[in-house]
Amino acid sequence: MWKYRRKLSWLYWLWMTTRIKHLYLHVPFCRTICYYCDFCHRVYSEDLSQRWLERVREEIENNCFDQYETIYIGGGTPTALSNGQLDSLLSYIDPYTKEVKEYTIEVNPESLDEEKIRIFKKHKIDRISMGIQSSNDKILQSINRRHTFKDVKEKIALLRSYGFDNISGDLMYSLPGQDMKILEQTIDDILSLDLEHISLYSLTVEENSVFGKKGIMSLDEDIEADMYELIERKLTENDYIHYEVSNYAKPGKESKHNLSYWNYEDFLGISLGAASKIGNNRYTNTRDFGRYFSSEDIRDENLYLEKEDLEFEHIMMSLRTIYGLDINAFNKMYDCDLLSKYKEGVNDENIVVENGHLICKNLEILNHILLKFML
Amino acid sequence: MAGIWQVKNLDKKHIRNFSIIAHIDHGKSTLADRILELTDTVSKREMQDQILDSLDLERERGITIKLNVVQLSYRAKDGEEYIFHLIDTPGHVDFSYEVSRSLAACDGAILVVDASQGIEAQTLANTYLALDNDLEILPVINKIDLPSADIERTKKEIEDVIGLDCSNAPCISAKTGLNVQDVLEGIVKYLPAPKGDENEPLKALVFDSYYDSYRGVVVFVCLKEGKVKVGDHIRFMQDNVEYEVTELGVKTPNEVKRNSLSTGEVGYLCASIKSIQDIHIGDTITLADRPCAEALPGYRKMNPMVYCGMYPTDNNKYNDLRDALEKLQLNDSSLTFEAESSKALGFGFRLGFLGLLHMEVVQERLEREYGLNLIATAPSVIYKVTLTDGSVSYIDNPSLMPELNVIESIEEPYVRATIMVPNEYIGSIMQLSQDKRGIYKEMIYLDENRNQLIYEMPLSEIIFEYFDKLKSVSRGYASLDYELIGYRKSNLVKMDILINGEIIDALSIIVHRDFAYKRGQAITVKLKEILPKQQFEIPIQAAIGNKVLARTNIKSLRKDVLAKCYGGDISRKKKLLEKQKEGKKRMKAVGSVEIPQEAFMAVLALDDDKN
Repeated sequence: MWKYRRKLSWLYWLWMTTRIKHLYLHVPFCRTICYYCDFCHRVYSEDLSQRWLERVREEIENNCFDQYETIYIGGGTPTALSNGQLDSLLSYIDPYTKEVKEYTIEVNPESLDEEKIRIFKKHKIDRISMGIQSSNDKILQSINRRHTFKDVKEKIALLRSYGFDNISGDLMYSLPGQDMKILEQTIDDILSLDLEHISLYSLTVEENSVFGKKGIMSLDEDIEADMYELIERKLTENDYIHYEVSNYAKPGKESKHNLSYWNYEDFLGISLGAASKIGNNRYTNTRDFGRYFSSEDIRDENLYLEKEDLEFEHIMMSLRTIYGLDINAFNKMYDCDLLSKYKEGVNDENIVVENGHLICKNLEILNHILLKFML
Repeated sequence: MAGIWQVKNLDKKHIRNFSIIAHIDHGKSTLADRILELTDTVSKREMQDQILDSLDLERERGITIKLNVVQLSYRAKDGEEYIFHLIDTPGHVDFSYEVSRSLAACDGAILVVDASQGIEAQTLANTYLALDNDLEILPVINKIDLPSADIERTKKEIEDVIGLDCSNAPCISAKTGLNVQDVLEGIVKYLPAPKGDENEPLKALVFDSYYDSYRGVVVFVCLKEGKVKVGDHIRFMQDNVEYEVTELGVKTPNEVKRNSLSTGEVGYLCASIKSIQDIHIGDTITLADRPCAEALPGYRKMNPMVYCGMYPTDNNKYNDLRDALEKLQLNDSSLTFEAESSKALGFGFRLGFLGLLHMEVVQERLEREYGLNLIATAPSVIYKVTLTDGSVSYIDNPSLMPELNVIESIEEPYVRATIMVPNEYIGSIMQLSQDKRGIYKEMIYLDENRNQLIYEMPLSEIIFEYFDKLKSVSRGYASLDYELIGYRKSNLVKMDILINGEIIDALSIIVHRDFAYKRGQAITVKLKEILPKQQFEIPIQAAIGNKVLARTNIKSLRKDVLAKCYGGDISRKKKLLEKQKEGKKRMKAVGSVEIPQEAFMAVLALDDDKN
């Protein structure tokens, strides 16, 4: 069916004429479930993951046609897979890695071992994103993480010994029980790891997460803002560039893959729950394993984006970074005049034009500003 | 059974026209349902709870707003067949106008009293209204199935307080249907048949009407004298206009067409009447070629007591709002409106209501049935203002209050409030009434458990929060009725609310000078909670003239951003923003500040909210 459609459908035509440069692959398994998470995931089982692996192979074969510049294996927990499975998965992707400039995989400290690191090397993975979350073992326990900060330090050292020179750490703040003092300690601990890239997310209590079901409340806005500002001050003092709302990097170490999202480029998403954006279309894959295994039609959302949708989303994504939105490119792409069409937003006191780019100077209240860009 | 509508030579001795008087929740609608069932007026299949309450809002809120009429037939134990016209009445004090309308069409009334609660203030008021209309009253003791029911005490109370003989009062449970038959027999035995002579010239009372887009205005009539048939030329006596009757009928409760209606009957009439404005409730209809000598007395129209401004959040919807109001007014003659404008809110209307419930119902219907997003300003009464030059003006919009220096005096409407309350709550009710500027008049002993308190107090205090607080301090046991007793001088001032340094005219209120400081504090605190943060700090002030009484600041917005936004999040995050934007649409942008609906009600903020 897919093959037949590929030959005839306009989609096939679209794929043939539009080169997609970015690939995301979602590994929907975890060994345990973290309390803040509502991502697409299942507790790992040998049987289920094996079936998934076979289906993913099919999906890759049917959908990947390009040589990708960036690839990102996320999850879930990619390292929740067995070594053999991981090796297989990455070998399915190998044919598309000839021009890859950044190849990231997410790892958890407790499930990362030397064998897995050797597999990464074998498949040209050059960037690691580790779920650290906190350096405080009590807090780690309270969000159902199964590692300690000591594990983190050991695994980073191990990665370094294999020559990984682009490691990112994922952390969270405004967690229940976390105050300014604990946060400050965490930042100091993280700085001591000398990572190339740090992502610091404030907790969003998602309805379908364990926290959401428990009725955990978000912290007071002022405290969250204080935390955000503390993080920004300490990391920039230590030569990190605060280049996106929640992301910090040493110069030149910004995530190329994630920048492609923020530049609103096309990307292909593979596996359960993954989204793709190709031209005017956005697809989101089902989160339902049953449907994923049994049906050829695995798209939950199949959206045609009108010009206005594209424009707003482009603005919404681009303003998240300090590099902002390339005004000329935007005008050309959508055949419009950004500065006059989105006057209300452009006139916001926090929006400036620098070197032909529209830039938001107060990322902390970006939502509030974005509302003014909604026509 | 279905054939009864063709009963020939209907003898008016076999007709009974009555309404049911009851306090909210005392079981009026349930009793009506049981009566409809027992007389097979409505088959079980059609039966839905509270069938007379046909507006969705009525069923949802368990209240009756519009009155409704139904004809039913009953074969009594004496073997004779009777025709009943049950005319439903609203129980809430806001709608007492509607009550007086329906009572005028009746010869008798059933007074339903909850055996566990006793008489309530509004029941009392409506009973007196019925007695004023010379109605026979049949007391019915309801809810005797409840463990807390005290039949003897309730009977004694009815006898002592109203002076009605309760020896023949049916004791029933409308819920279970127990002894409801006795009510039907009681109606036959104790309520009078209509008087009047069908050979006299037609004299029909107009007691309600509604607009139907196919038939024009449908007029509800009660025939006091004479007959009317399809094709007759009729005259509305007040305006002396004539129409030809195109349709007659009765409600069973479905409409059943008839060729004629006769003395004692209650039914509807259509005559290609184009607009409801052409019909006056209380008017008398007679025959053009054989008019009656004089019209029925009709009744006093009740004037709106409470006013508020209503503005579309989207200024372009002004015309839609006007159209919706015109349509609503077609079936709600007690609703008044006229165009007004506000510096803060743009163009809108000032609406007049019978009371707060009426106001809420209207706003809800406008939003629900007409899809409008509205901002309603805080309700206000009408103030009588005497200026230093001696001229008098009536102000129903606080922002239009003249400057302090040209005001000689301000008078406000006062009411006589009757509160029925169990003994244990007397203290707290007296405290509350005093806080609301009530003047104690008397306390009447009802029985060993209950008393009746009489206060005189400003209407504005009653409509603002007295009623709600009365219910909460008495845990729902106190009941209230009030009647206007005229205007009195008070030490009143206009208090302005300034947001970001700007007076928001729609937030201005009239307050008693002694309470101004406390009110100002409460309002500014409340507004601080309600107004959305902006990128800058927003001062909120309450002021009289140039004097600031209270001040607080809304801190500027510090954090409002999605922490994570990658490829897979775009759809979801955009939806979040769209929702946020939608919420913004429900607010009114005033200068650089956005004001949500709740803010306009915040000026009614309870004084002790923060205590």
